[in-house]
Amino acid sequence: MSSPFEQVLINGDVEQLETADLSLLETLDHVLSKGLVIAGEITISVADIELIFVGLNVLVTSVETAKKVVRERQTGNE
Amino acid sequence: MYGGPNQPTDESTVPNEQPDSSRAYYVYCVAETEAAKQFATHSLPQAIEDDAALEWVAAGDLSALYSRVPLTSYDEVGLAEHLSDATWTAVRAMRHEQVVEYFAKRASVVPLRFGTIYLERSGIERMLAERANELKVIIERLRGREEWGVNVFFDRTVLLESITSISARLKELASDAAKASPGQSYLLQKKIDALKVDEARAEIVRLTGEIEQTLGEASEGARRLRVLKVEATEYGELKAKFAFLIKRVAFDEFRAAAEHLARENQASGVRLELTGPWPAYNFATEATNEEK
Repeated sequence: MSSPFEQVLINGDVEQLETADLSLLETLDHVLSKGLVIAGEITISVADIELIFVGLNVLVTSVETAKKVVRERQTGNE
Repeated sequence: MYGGPNQPTDESTVPNEQPDSSRAYYVYCVAETEAAKQFATHSLPQAIEDDAALEWVAAGDLSALYSRVPLTSYDEVGLAEHLSDATWTAVRAMRHEQVVEYFAKRASVVPLRFGTIYLERSGIERMLAERANELKVIIERLRGREEWGVNVFFDRTVLLESITSISARLKELASDAAKASPGQSYLLQKKIDALKVDEARAEIVRLTGEIEQTLGEASEGARRLRVLKVEATEYGELKAKFAFLIKRVAFDEFRAAAEHLARENQASGVRLELTGPWPAYNFATEATNEEK
């Protein structure tokens, strides 16, 4: 077994996402289900968020799809 | 359901560049107006959609960060359709995160959850005014602080191998078995095997509680989060996830405390993974009693 301790920096860093699909899933969980809930004029319900997350969980378990997400995100940044 | 384009009433609040009702306002976070003013518009991260930039709307000393989004994609019907496309959602969620991260690193902001959308700019202004006190309390609570996640993994094989030396009950049974006759020894061994599983489970609960307690004391708030993946990883099974609110200046101490816990309990097969720094999503709630 390797070191019992590791620090993973979450920098919204595309390079890092290429190597760590864990941080993608973690990030999605943070963004989708956490944060202050403010009733916008259009808001996604908590129940919907849960459903969306189930879909994403499946999506992100595929490394290929995760990379696709990263690529789309990079394209969007250009 | 969103009822149609009968919403805009106050034309004076609609900015000049997009005076159409076909675009809504997607909100990311709230900051103090003084802090918002510091951000130059040219170096900001990309907004959730490619064709609109990030902008601030102020109401007194609070400002909200938003960008325009096409209403066809972000009204209730359009959004519901898009959200079922996991890739679309993942890309937007990542952009939301990237934006909030950028500002959270540079100012005390209240991170909003993904998908807060207004039809009019004046709706954001109203929200800022109505919730000003609550938002200011959160901004103060988060100032100079960031969220770190701690993921707790257990390697079951390692834990089961070492549990006999960890558990007092197992130690006693093992010593009895060593002294017992072959027949008794056989029965005791069966008892030991069954007890190992229970004691391993108890050790996970004990150690997870100790991690929550110790790191909670080294931080300004602790939250136990749901565990996302139950399947085994190369580091063992993820058994618990926590979020801690930590002063930036106290992070080194917190990190040292986490590393110490991990090394001290290595024999139990535990592995700690520290993730962050996150915008303080888990500490941006209205409740002020964040300490459990």
